Amino acid sequence: MEILQYALRKLLAGLPLILGVTLVSFALMVYFGPDMTYQLLGKNPTPEQILEVRQQLGYDQPFLQRYLVFLGEIVTFDFGVASTGEPVATLLAKTIPVSLILILPGFILGHVVGLLLALAAAYWRGSWPDKLIMAVAVIGMSVSFLIVIIGFQIVLSSSDGLDLFPVRGWNASSLGNYLSYVTVPTLATMFVALGYDTRFYRSVIVEEMTRDHVRTSRAFGLPESRILLRNILKNCLIPFITRVMFSIPQVAIGGALLIESYFGIPGIGKATYEAIVTGDQPVLKAVVSLTAILFVLVVVLNDILYRVVDPRVTLK
Amino acid sequence: MTKDLSQPVLKVRDLTVEFATEDGVIRAVDSVSFDVQPNETLGLVGESGCGKTVTGLAMLRLIPMPPGRIASGSIELDGRDLVPLPDRDLEDLRGRALSMIFQEPMTALNPVFTIGNQMTDVLCRHRDLTRRQARPVAAELLAKVGIPEPANRLDDYPHQLSGGMRQRVMIAMALSCNPRLLIADEPTTALDVTTQAQVLEQFRALQAEFRMAVILVTHDLGVVAETCQRALVMYCGSIVESGATAELFSRPRHPYTAGLLASIPRLRSERLPELPVIPGRVPDLLNLPAGCRFADRCPRVQERCRAERPVLTGRDSGVACHYPL
Repeated sequence: MEILQYALRKLLAGLPLILGVTLVSFALMVYFGPDMTYQLLGKNPTPEQILEVRQQLGYDQPFLQRYLVFLGEIVTFDFGVASTGEPVATLLAKTIPVSLILILPGFILGHVVGLLLALAAAYWRGSWPDKLIMAVAVIGMSVSFLIVIIGFQIVLSSSDGLDLFPVRGWNASSLGNYLSYVTVPTLATMFVALGYDTRFYRSVIVEEMTRDHVRTSRAFGLPESRILLRNILKNCLIPFITRVMFSIPQVAIGGALLIESYFGIPGIGKATYEAIVTGDQPVLKAVVSLTAILFVLVVVLNDILYRVVDPRVTLK
Repeated sequence: MTKDLSQPVLKVRDLTVEFATEDGVIRAVDSVSFDVQPNETLGLVGESGCGKTVTGLAMLRLIPMPPGRIASGSIELDGRDLVPLPDRDLEDLRGRALSMIFQEPMTALNPVFTIGNQMTDVLCRHRDLTRRQARPVAAELLAKVGIPEPANRLDDYPHQLSGGMRQRVMIAMALSCNPRLLIADEPTTALDVTTQAQVLEQFRALQAEFRMAVILVTHDLGVVAETCQRALVMYCGSIVESGATAELFSRPRHPYTAGLLASIPRLRSERLPELPVIPGRVPDLLNLPAGCRFADRCPRVQERCRAERPVLTGRDSGVACHYPL
């Protein structure tokens, strides 16, 4: 119950943040974004035509008024019509699920496998399993994402390699199809994420291993494996949760954008990329505001999870 | 385990502990030998860096390895050498036959588990108890160390208790399996004076009740005088003097012991112009002098002291000095 109140309070505290982020991004779009007027008009428009289009687009309204209209769009989830003629809400409903099922396996596997490798490296720290895992992690970090994608495509999807999976495209009509299309993007994201995540997890665990309470547990005869998997791991949860939570917006935007455009997958990342290139303002506004809201939700959820795992965090 | 009162609980012989550093190997403990008798409290005294804490940790093989290692020597607990013991067998002894409490009550307990959780962990590890059965035992132990409302305290987290309370929890945990030997590393140093006195008082009473031997590692000579029957004075990794506390304090034989005793501030009628101190500094452990390690600071130094290292004359009562007082 106390937790619920705390969550509500945190959510309310997140509201001004949402307002601030949307205000800034809206200002950027208005003053630096593309002007749609001339795209909608033909060659040599008359001043009256220009005026008319600007009126239709709402450009003649004062800034504050336009911002309020924008906020109204966010609340009602009605972002108008994209330049393709499709309502933005429909576009989002179509593309977001694709991105979710595309990104989720790599995201979860990346963190889980990264944590397992880090535990192994920390348990055998200083000896060969540790050195091997860390060497592979450095390779994962050093190779560019694009090279990794191309490498996996050549090895797994081309006739020069194993030719097991389609090179690009998307089909999630059945589980078999889904797996064949999702495997290569998942492996590519995992490969890159593993490098960073394993190193991060290992360093947090190894740091925690030097704490006094670990020595106390040893002095009382608790077995090393139990100390690592219970006493140490629970103390690492705050940095771990922060890491996982804050990689959500990053993966949802950056990862999806790159992977989807490379593999030709019709997700939100690809739609965003196209909207940026064509200056499709309704889509951009929707993506920007939803990202801001996602970020605030992540921060709030992060704070709540802190309280769940660490008794020292107060609810006040 | 039989409690034979005629044999020492612990026999340490020629214990040498080394640490590999970037500049070379440091010998933190240098062929130290001593016995601990049943029910006895043995004080291990010396200034910071003299090797007393490392000696204490070595008894449970808790020295971080690497960089540390027990280079040679034996540690016999009831006739069983702990140095070559497999890790699994040693884990069985830790917290059961051999317990340890630490200097830092603020950090020695795990911050994200309740007191009860941590205590039942130890109880279930070494005694044939379920967690449900262990809880009342834990509460009983907390009551024994003087914690009010013990049953409620079990659900507290360490940060909800004061330093003194936490150290009591540590003591309760250390006593939970009736150890043969308890190593207490500066158990009261981090506590304020009033709490210190209370904890020490409790400690003495518990020692009588649990009938265990104690090694008290401390730099506080006052604590040694109050609690220990015998004491070992360490300097630069070796024992320089050993003996019964009363004897040692009234008639110190090693100039270092004498210097330590003289530098205790006390209330007295005559006013001293200045608190006496031991001049000079502890030598660098990487470049130890060939002769007596105290030679550079010793008021009684002679030619022989710089050339020849003195050996401890006796294990239970002796001095490592060519020209003792």
